[in-house]
Amino acid sequence: MTEENAQIVVHGVSQVYRPPAGREVLALSDVSLEVQGREFIALLGPSGCGKSTLLYLIGGFLPTQQGSIRVDGKPVSGPGPDRGIVFQDFALFPWKTVRANVLYGLERMDLSRHERERRAQSFIDMVGLGGFEDSYPSQLSGGMKQRAAIARTLAIDPTILLMDEPFGALDSQTRRLMQSELLSIWQRTPKTVIFVTHDVQEAVFLAGRVAVMSARPGCIKAIVETQFDKADPHLLKSPDFVNKVDEIWNLVRDEAIVAQTARHP
Amino acid sequence: MARRDNGVTTPEQPPGGRSAGLRMVRQTLRTAAYGLPVVALLIAWETFARSGAVTMFILPPASAVAERIWADAAAGDLWRNILTTMYRAFSGFLLGSLIGVAIGIGISRNALARWFFDPIISIGFPMPKVAFLPVIILWLGVFDVSKIAMVTIEVLFPVVTATVIGLQGVNRSVIWSARNLGASQRQLLWHVMIPAAFPQIFTGIQVALPIALIVAVFTEMAMGGYGLGASMMSASRLADSRGVFAGIVAIALVGYCVVKLMGLLRRRVLIWHAEAVMPSTV
Repeated sequence: MTEENAQIVVHGVSQVYRPPAGREVLALSDVSLEVQGREFIALLGPSGCGKSTLLYLIGGFLPTQQGSIRVDGKPVSGPGPDRGIVFQDFALFPWKTVRANVLYGLERMDLSRHERERRAQSFIDMVGLGGFEDSYPSQLSGGMKQRAAIARTLAIDPTILLMDEPFGALDSQTRRLMQSELLSIWQRTPKTVIFVTHDVQEAVFLAGRVAVMSARPGCIKAIVETQFDKADPHLLKSPDFVNKVDEIWNLVRDEAIVAQTARHP
Repeated sequence: MARRDNGVTTPEQPPGGRSAGLRMVRQTLRTAAYGLPVVALLIAWETFARSGAVTMFILPPASAVAERIWADAAAGDLWRNILTTMYRAFSGFLLGSLIGVAIGIGISRNALARWFFDPIISIGFPMPKVAFLPVIILWLGVFDVSKIAMVTIEVLFPVVTATVIGLQGVNRSVIWSARNLGASQRQLLWHVMIPAAFPQIFTGIQVALPIALIVAVFTEMAMGGYGLGASMMSASRLADSRGVFAGIVAIALVGYCVVKLMGLLRRRVLIWHAEAVMPSTV
């Protein structure tokens, strides 16, 4: 892995999932992937294909069983503030207010109190939660919870943003809104984003490249370029975009069918 | 219960500010309806006791018992007994809760502690710990220490179990988020695991509270030495049936107040929790 200047290099990663009961499952099989700095890449695949597992491995939350993962040239050995993560279930601290949630990561950094407060406020404002600083997560809607979680993660200023189906629990209107806002945030604070989803349109709309994963055991089936003018308000209806969604959907469909039949033999 | 539900879902509830007075009347009625079964029970008791079917010795009328409680309160005996019982119950309750949470944390974080305590808790939980009372008396005597020890032991089990279950149930994503944000292992425990498990832990503590009262009264009955339980037993020995019933009513009132206060405390402490807005009956 002496090669190139990719920020994240996943090389030959295989992962066996051992459930507390039942047979063990090969979740990932010989996955290799390179992600450039400041790239927005989507991991797309049917549920259970191991795309989240791959994300957790890059995040250092699970130990790599086979193969190697390097971030900025260094092998991943655990979670770090250089790789912020956002989960589908928001994973906020429900006993803390929005402000205290955002402050939590900042309190573990070497910052003055004033600077912490300032940064927390600026990220709360960035995700549009101004006025809800003192609300508890239980008082917020799903979309607002995810905004708070994104602010909390962005506040520690990670160079890489790992997003695990972040909008999967939101209704379709909120999801559309959040997608646009994520793009605008990404354009303002350039970060490398790895975005796990099983929504083809979401992947094509957000990412510059889409890595299509096969059904279990997961491996990268294809990587498709999806560069579009994201500022175009009619993008979702443009023929190029529709064709691209179609092309990728065809790739995913076979895998989704395999995944379906694997679950219901 | 059905009455309360009817009150809540009344369809002809008029909208607007003018109904404020009406709503207050409804609220009062609802509260009154809630206490109605107890009032009915008291009336039934009074009527039955005065019907001549039983003697005043077998069942003194509610009014006579109320008079007795009033007299005991005026004389100061009632307060001394309540304070004595509460001191024992609460000492054991606090001690048992603290030790219980500590053991629970140990079990869920340390393999050795889990290996040691897990089977003991499993065997001990369903077992009536008051069976150890004779041993406790032999070891610790018949005074406060043995009573508090007995309460502590009984309180321990539900608190340990609730703590273990609560800590096990903390979402993986919450733990991972905290680690991602830079929490150390120690911070993970104190900043994340315990607060996240706190609603569960608090439930265990709430379950333990009436147990503490029950055991305190029971040990007083068995060992004597003031307190509500002891005073009832001595009243019984003196064939003072009003005194016995006065004790029962006093215990019921004390228990009700203490459990209600605990419910209020929960709503105050767990203000962030979604359930905090929901009324609790227990």
